[in-house]
Amino acid sequence: MSCGLQDVLELESLGTPAVLVATDAFAQAAARQTELLGAPDLRYRLVAHPIQDRTDEELRALARDVARALLDAVTT
Amino acid sequence: MELVALVKHDCPTCDQLLPALTAAAERGAPLRILSQSGERDTSEQAARVGVRAVPELDAGLAVSERLDPDAVPAVILLDGGAETGRVEGLQRDRLVALFAAAGATIDVAGLPALRPGCASVTRDPAVAGALAARRARAEGRIRSRVLRIGGLEDPVEALHDRGLTDGLPVVPPIPERVVAMLEHTSRDPQDVVGVLPPYGGGATVEKVAVNAVMAGCAGPELPIVLAAVEAVSREPFALHGLLATTHSSGPVIVVSGPYAAQAGMQAEVNALGQGCRATLCTGRALQLTVRNVGGGRPGIEDRATHGSPAKVGFCFAERLDAGAPFAGLAHDRAGLGADETGVTVFAGEAPRLVADQLAREPDELVASLAQGLEQVFSPRYRLGFDAMLVLGPEHGRVFREAGWTRSELQQALHLASHRPAGELVRGAGGIAEGLDPAWVTDPAFPVAKFAVPDRILIAYAGGDAGLFSMVIGGWASGEIGSAPQTANVEDWR
Amino acid sequence: MDYLELLDPTAERDAVARPLAERGRPIRRLALLDIRKPRGDVFLDELEALLRAESLDVHRTAKPTFTKPAPADLRREIAESCDAVIEALAD
Repeated sequence: MSCGLQDVLELESLGTPAVLVATDAFAQAAARQTELLGAPDLRYRLVAHPIQDRTDEELRALARDVARALLDAVTT
Repeated sequence: MELVALVKHDCPTCDQLLPALTAAAERGAPLRILSQSGERDTSEQAARVGVRAVPELDAGLAVSERLDPDAVPAVILLDGGAETGRVEGLQRDRLVALFAAAGATIDVAGLPALRPGCASVTRDPAVAGALAARRARAEGRIRSRVLRIGGLEDPVEALHDRGLTDGLPVVPPIPERVVAMLEHTSRDPQDVVGVLPPYGGGATVEKVAVNAVMAGCAGPELPIVLAAVEAVSREPFALHGLLATTHSSGPVIVVSGPYAAQAGMQAEVNALGQGCRATLCTGRALQLTVRNVGGGRPGIEDRATHGSPAKVGFCFAERLDAGAPFAGLAHDRAGLGADETGVTVFAGEAPRLVADQLAREPDELVASLAQGLEQVFSPRYRLGFDAMLVLGPEHGRVFREAGWTRSELQQALHLASHRPAGELVRGAGGIAEGLDPAWVTDPAFPVAKFAVPDRILIAYAGGDAGLFSMVIGGWASGEIGSAPQTANVEDWR
Repeated sequence: MDYLELLDPTAERDAVARPLAERGRPIRRLALLDIRKPRGDVFLDELEALLRAESLDVHRTAKPTFTKPAPADLRREIAESCDAVIEALAD
């Protein structure tokens, strides 16, 4: 997750709106790290943890639930 | 021509000489009398010995530091600022000659021919340390920001409260200790050793020294810590990923070569355990540097599910004596000379014991150790991990007596840790984990545990007795993960 | 009052404020950056289908490993060829 936040930060610096998808196990860590990186508004969206034991259909449902929020994160 | 006299209040010889010095000054001798003591003590001394003119104070011991006497009273003759003569202690005839050289006189009637002085205040270890620290700051050798701990605060608690510890108490990094630590490297304190993730903190030699003091290092360990910091900051080591992962692993430092013992490391009984200050504090110094300079802390950036005691610090030395089956790990990996010392850093878990109390032949012992290696992460996970095997002496002897090289042992372990695909496929033995059945066309096909033999690193350490070795499981290995790195300690001495 | 002076063991980095990219421009081509953790591809496949259904052009790409930040070349390539990027899935 931490490497992902670095990626999003660097892409934003290159002028490309970006958003990271992470699981909610990282909620507190993500909030703290974006602050420490000097970018408290860095975009990330959380989906329910865990991922590894989900069926394909469950993962597709997660994608459907968050798709709108992800588009909003890179356009607004 | 100028004479400077240095005295202190708690010195009977200074008491005895002071009236003569003051009288000489009153008669017009070009003499400054400076006291190394405080205002009150100096006044009391003047009153005690019956002189009216109280000596000047050597503010901040600046003159004493510059002229650097071993003993006081010290009288130094300066010609345009350069020293041309000096008398330390009471040496009657030499004092007369020194004053004469300055075109002045001193009345030594009633004084003994010879009386030794007392140690100059600048020779007091605490004072010397403080002066050295002040000089280091003035010369730009130390540049760290100063943290002020109030007189009512306990410094040990204050460091915990400021989030600067690993949960264990640290040695407060006062400038004197850091300056003393920096004596153990010839590198410039402002040299950058490495840039540390996740926030890109620059680890200078000075910053590493501060953290080494906090970790409890005595000093000689510093070049080893510096080499380890440089090695873990290299891109192929993937320290950022290692720090942030949920896997419970951290940097493991293996020290190979004669300097390990010079730094106080021992590689025999409890080589990986408690009791040896140098190994424990070196491992800790690396982790404190990563944490404090890199900025990654447990719970926030460090997401290890369980972590382990090894994450506080994990450093051991190899036992490279006559019984060692191979050359040092660093020597093999980096082509070091036998008289050189290197560190190898490896992304690893806490160590796991592997026993074999019966094997006498190398092939039998290999088969048994290979089983232990297969357990790394899970026996069902193949190819993605590496491991370090720390051979104990009773096991090492079997390979040494059979004349095996390190490379032969790696190849044998690699072969012996294959397993038929059918035993590894998902669902086999009622276990959900395993190889995707779509990839298993032939259940008898032997699947390697490790990608190549070189992914099994072999080190040698431990006490004489005990038919044990230790397996240190790796984290994600190869291109997608962390690659072990070796650095030469000689570069940092 | 007595003080004890200690040397700061940190990098003394005060976080420099990092501004984000401008938003509000139309998005026509979107990159989906896979961090390469297992199962992320299923999630991204569905996102790709949903975005294409909205008439967006989608560029699927991946970084070499989730254990390190993306290589600079890859970031540059995405920035030059796409209007926005979604990176997934960090678990």
